[in-house]
This record gives sequence, C-alpha cells and structure tokens, in this order.
Amino acid sequence: MVEERRILYEHLDVPDINTFDVFRQYDGYTRFEKAITEYQPEDIAKMVMDSGLKGRGGAGFSTGLKWSFVPRDIKPCYLCCNADESEPGTFSNRYVLEKNPHLLIEGILICCYAMGIETTYVYIRGEFTLGKKMLDAAIKEAYEKGYLGKDIRGTGLNIDIYTHPGAGAYICGEETGLIESLEGKRGQPRNKPPFPAVEGVFGKPTVVQNVETLCNLPFIVGNGVEWYTQMGPTYADTRANPPTPDPNTGTKLYCISGDVNEPGVYELDLGLTCSELIEVAGGLRGEEVKAVIPGGSSAPILTHYELDTRLDFTSLTLAKSMLGSGGIIVMNETRNIVDCLLNIMKFYAHESCGQCTPCRWGTPWVRDIVQRIADGDGRKSTMTRPKFGVAENGRWGDTGETEEIYEDLDLLESVANNIANVDTMTWNTICVFGIAVSWPAVSYLRKFRPEFEAAIREGKLVTLPVAEATVPPEENYAYQQRFIPKEFADL
Amino acid sequence: MSDELIQIETPFAFNEENQREFNALIGRYPVKEAAMLPTLHLAQRQAGYITPAVMKYVAEQLEVSVMKVKDVVTFYPMFFEEPVGEYVIRVCHTLPCALRDCKGVLEHLKAKLDTDIAAETNLAKGTTPDGKFTLMKVECLASCDVAPVIMVNDDLYKNLTPEKIDEIIDNL
Ligand SMILES: Cc1cc2nc3c(=O)[nH]c(=O)nc-3n(C[C@H](O)[C@H](O)[C@H](O)COP(=O)(O)O)c2cc1C
Ligand code: SF4
Ligand code: FES
Repeated sequence: MVEERRILYEHLDVPDINTFDVFRQYDGYTRFEKAITEYQPEDIAKMVMDSGLKGRGGAGFSTGLKWSFVPRDIKPCYLCCNADESEPGTFSNRYVLEKNPHLLIEGILICCYAMGIETTYVYIRGEFTLGKKMLDAAIKEAYEKGYLGKDIRGTGLNIDIYTHPGAGAYICGEETGLIESLEGKRGQPRNKPPFPAVEGVFGKPTVVQNVETLCNLPFIVGNGVEWYTQMGPTYADTRANPPTPDPNTGTKLYCISGDVNEPGVYELDLGLTCSELIEVAGGLRGEEVKAVIPGGSSAPILTHYELDTRLDFTSLTLAKSMLGSGGIIVMNETRNIVDCLLNIMKFYAHESCGQCTPCRWGTPWVRDIVQRIADGDGRKSTMTRPKFGVAENGRWGDTGETEEIYEDLDLLESVANNIANVDTMTWNTICVFGIAVSWPAVSYLRKFRPEFEAAIREGKLVTLPVAEATVPPEENYAYQQRFIPKEFADL
Repeated sequence: MSDELIQIETPFAFNEENQREFNALIGRYPVKEAAMLPTLHLAQRQAGYITPAVMKYVAEQLEVSVMKVKDVVTFYPMFFEEPVGEYVIRVCHTLPCALRDCKGVLEHLKAKLDTDIAAETNLAKGTTPDGKFTLMKVECLASCDVAPVIMVNDDLYKNLTPEKIDEIIDNL
C-alpha cells in the first residue's frame, strides 16, 4: 500500500501551529531566513525552475517558467495568492488557511524575495470566514515579529500582505477574473495575451499562484532541489530529440470525496494510480467503482477501465483528462451518470460570467438538454444511420452496421463542442471555463452513452450495471489516443 | 439610472468601528475602487443588505459612479439586494454533497423551517415570515470531505444528519 508523505501537511494537526511561536518551533520561517541569507533572488528562481514545481491551482503550469516571464524592470510587481478554492471537489487550501497560515506566509515571503515583490494580495473566497480570520491573525503576528513590513530582519526588504475577500463567484478563481475582481469590478476574465505576468493587476506585472504552490516553496528552499525532485515521477517528453525530462515532482494534496470510506485530504507523492488512491482513502464505499473524476468537476471523467491511470499532470493529460486542482470524486455502481452530469451542468450554468455568447447561452442550453433527458423527455428519431467505430481493417471508420439516432445526444455533444471543442482543443470563449463545461459534458456522454440512451428510451433515469453503462475502450473514440507515459530513467 | 433618480429611504453611513476598518482598507490599494468588495462586505454586515442608499454611500467613498457599485453588487451572489433573515442558511448542493444526500438535508430544512428555497432574485421566497431564517442553495463550499455541509451565517456545519440539523437550528 502507498504511504502518505506529509510535507505541507506535516504539522497541520499540531496544537496552536497557527501561532507564531509554535510554528517557529517547527522550523517556521527558517527557510525564509535561509533564502535571504544564503541565496540571491535569482538563485531562488532557478531552484524553483529546477525543482519542476507545477502550479497546483488547476492549469499545472511550471511555476519557474511563469516567473521567468515577469519583466524584472517594471515595478511595482504584485503577487496574488489564489485562495478562491471553488472548484467542486477541492478543499486542501482551506485547511492550510485555517490551521497553518504561517506556512503560507513563509511561502509568500520566499516568492516575494525571489521576484522582488513588495505587495501581495491573498484573494480568499468569501465563504472562508474562518480561514480569513486565521490568516489575518497570522499576518498581524508576522508584522509584530518583524517578518512583514518595512526592512524585514534588517535586510532592507519591504513586504506587505493583504487579504481580500471574494463574494461567492466561482469565476474569480480564474486568474484574470481574480485580477478584475481584485480591482473592484465584476470578476470577468480578460483576453490573454497580455498575460498577468506582463500586465496584471493595476496594469502591472503580476504573479498569480495557488496556496498549495506557494506552500511548496519553503520546502524546496529548505531541503534542496535534489530532495524535492526525488518525489514523484519524471517522464520523458519524447517530442524533443533527445527526450527532455518532464517532471511531476513533489507531493500533491489529493482531495478525495464521494463514495470512499474515508474522504479527506491525503498528501502523497504525485504519480500513484487511481485505484491506489481509493485504497488509501479507506477503500470504496459500495461494490464497484463506476467512475472517477480526477481533477475537480471540470476534468473529463475516468471509467473503471482507467483506474490504472496515474494521477499526475502528464499521465492524466495523456489520458485526455487533467489533474486540475486535484479534487478526486469517486462514484460507485449506484450512481447515475446522467444525474451527475445534470448536477455539474447546473453548477456551470450558474457560474458562467456571461461575457462570451457561446458560454452564456451554450452552458444553460447543455444543462437544459441534460435536464430534459433526466426528466424522461429526451428526443430520439425513428431513423437509423451508418455506425462509426473500429472497422474491419482495424481503423476508425464505417463499421458497416447501423445505429439509431438519438437527437438530443447529438445536440448535447454539438452544443458542448461549440462552446469549446474537446477534440481539437480549441475554444470560442475568452477563458477556459468553456472547456471546463464541454469536457465533462462530452466525456460523460461518450464514456457512459448507454446510460444516456437508456434514459431517453425508457423515458426515465435508468442506472445500468457498471459493465453495461460503460463504453469499452476499444469501441470509444475518446480513448483511442490514450498513451501511457514512460519514466525518464527507463529510456 | 442616474444618481438623482435613486430613491433613498434610509440614509446610510458607516458606524465608527466600520469607518475605522474602512480607513485601514483603503490604504491597501493603489486605487480606491479596488476596495469595493471588502467595503461592500462591511456595509452589508452593518445594514443587513445592500440598499440603494448603501450603494450611493459606497460609491461616494470609493469615488466611482453608483452604477459601477450596482454592477458589482449584481454580479456576486454573496451580496443581497433584499432583506434576509437573521440567520442565512446556505445548503451546498454540488456533486460531492449530492453524493452524500444533500437533498435530504434540504428537504429536512424546508420542512423544519416551513419555507421554500430562496431564488437569487427573490430572497423573500426562502425567508421565514418572522424574518429569522433565509434558506438558500449554494455551490461547493470546499468541504466535500465532510459532506453534506451547510453554512449558517459564518459558521460551517459538517457531516449533517437530520438529528444534527435539528440540534443546530434549535440552538440558534
Ligand atoms: C474557471 C476556472 C476556475 C479556477 N479556479 C481556481 C481556484 O479556485 N483556485 C486556484 O488556485 N486556481 C483556479 N484556477 C486556475 C487559475 O486560473 C490559475 O491557473 C492558478 O491560480 C495559477 O496558480 P498556480 O500556477 O499556482 O496553480 C481556475 C481556472 C479556471 C479557468
Ligand atoms: S468562457 Fe464563460 S466564464 Fe469565461 S469569460 Fe467567457 S462567459 Fe465568462
Ligand atoms: S460539494 Fe458541498 S462542499 Fe463541496
């Protein structure tokens, strides 16, 4: 069985770890002190680049690379810590804020030192009243102890941290939505480019970083890059010749919820498989896994055929899904996929910011189609058409058989793909919320089509046994391009 | 809607404590407008909900047009433009909570409080006649490990069962 490796969460349950003195007993702020005494800012930036740290907020973008885009000669530069945590299924940032806020402050300090930043805004979702209170108290303490404010520890560094409450809009988690919201406007994402790294909040270069990403920094500085890169698999990116390393280093705060016996946050090295994680979380509640959402509700769903998929950035991307925020939602054999999709589509229809027509109209449209199917009013035609699949020659094409036409299922896929096309990965919207809508819609439909068809045929929701509800990999176009990555050392 | 057209019933101004907090807030940002969300939170805490007078006051304080404040208030679900109950009960109904029977929680609360669920544009629908409770559905509260969950004003309640709900409500 895979062992938990607690690093970010190691001292989470120590009593009073939220106070400066106790945090200090557990090496608190020593890593920041090490950074400012032993390293130049550029050294820290290089360490972060070499560590292979990828953003934990959703996009999984290399943190070191993001920092390298920030122009060094434009000041002021801002850091926005993204503590909006609203992706359904994600709850790891909350515990950091509520229980160990000084760790976040230390991470912020290291980032500020590396990037020459003097002002940080922590954008906390409005519902996190306790988290904000704890962080505010910790910030106050850090000011009193001379770790924030003017001329920190006699180094001439000036760093301020302010918390900023959100007000219940999911889209403010998107980095440019967050910036708009921070500027006091509606949280509507901006067109990119310019990227925030170049022109962000108040028109200045801005680094946007998730809470968990920042909490990794003290450990990278404290224990070194070599120690850090030993955790998690490093794959080979074979698009380059010779292959370049594609790191999935460090631990991840996996948030697991739904049908498992012990839901919660588990800190584990990146790269364990889906079934291993379910095992760690006390095993499945129920008889059989029907489906797993691997990275928050925006991620394409995995079926029971895919439980050997490793939960890291590279493997999930190659499996045509994503690690996203690391929110894993498990569903057992009693769950109806149409019903689950309806729930998620209601969420997205409610949260679209309304700027782009495909998203503003398309998302409620998708929701309405799924609602219609769930209500038993899904539409089906009496005609048939040639069926596409793996043909006799072993390639994708006309199989020579015919299939019935389920109009609403075609419509569902077409509307979703017109918000953002999941096959070509192109979208007609300003932000990637569009893909967060069409990814679940299309993947649920393609992978669990029999359940959608049954609902239309029978005029009511029908929960099929897992084997019948799932389209086998060899018959499904969505799986056709799935690759299993190889570890770098093997090549 | 121009500023003059707004009907102002009860004038609004920050009380002393909130004024102090506001003064501290405003110094954090290079432009005043950026203090919009924290200022509206402060104002809503004092006034109960965002009235036209509140919007006008906030607009003056932040040196922006009233329309801009209105624009923001309508965008964010946490700002109310209608009176709400003394206790606002937010029931999470997103997928992980749905997998743990949040429907049951909602039905139980509806029956117990004898009220409907508030709509975003009709809060009165979910508010009890005595003005004590407002029942509303919200999206994931980032506590899916302890689902189903509700928030009563600022406090989160976890792993709910009908008995627990009764206890929480009876103790309010
Ligand atoms: C619709 C949408 C919602 C998002 N919500 C969050 C969120 O709640 N928290 C978060 O950290 N990142 C969220 N992100 C990702 C951010 O845009 C951004 O990539 C991230 O904060 C960057 O930080 P990182 O590199 O440290 O992950 C969201 C993205 C999108 C498109
Ligand atoms: S894709 Fe949707 S959420 Fe994103 S900017 Fe457009 S309308 Fe807003
Ligand atoms: S779904 Fe209810 S807290 Fe996440």
